Amino acid sequence: MGSNKEQLLRDIGIVDFVLTELTLYLDTHPFDCHAMEYFNHYNRIKHQMEKEFSMKYFPLNTRMAESSKEWRWGMAPLPWEGECG
Amino acid sequence: MQDYLYDNNIDKFPIAMAYVPWQKFDKMYDDLEKAYCTGTIFPELDKPFTGRRCV
Repeated sequence: MGSNKEQLLRDIGIVDFVLTELTLYLDTHPFDCHAMEYFNHYNRIKHQMEKEFSMKYFPLNTRMAESSKEWRWGMAPLPWEGECG
Repeated sequence: MQDYLYDNNIDKFPIAMAYVPWQKFDKMYDDLEKAYCTGTIFPELDKPFTGRRCV
């Protein structure tokens, strides 16, 4: 997986899709431990990727918006500014 | 949830009803990019729907 901004954002979208699929599966198979292991694995990866992106570029959500010198959440590009894919 | 095996219990299924066989998760696509473009992470659900019938 790549490391530049656009690539990282796209990869986060892909992992998010994987989690959506696993969630749909687990909704109908709530005792499938094998699928839960997959879910936990990709959930951790997604969290790491979002954290990395938020530290390098701009926070993707308010949970990642810790700031000191400037309010990073407010400085982040708005969705209609075309930065969010 | 009851988990009938269709093949073994065909006589127990009422007629004129539609059934969706239960999905069994084995493994997902290793290539997540491919899964994303295909629209599913489950190889068993990757069907070439033609709009008329499935192949």
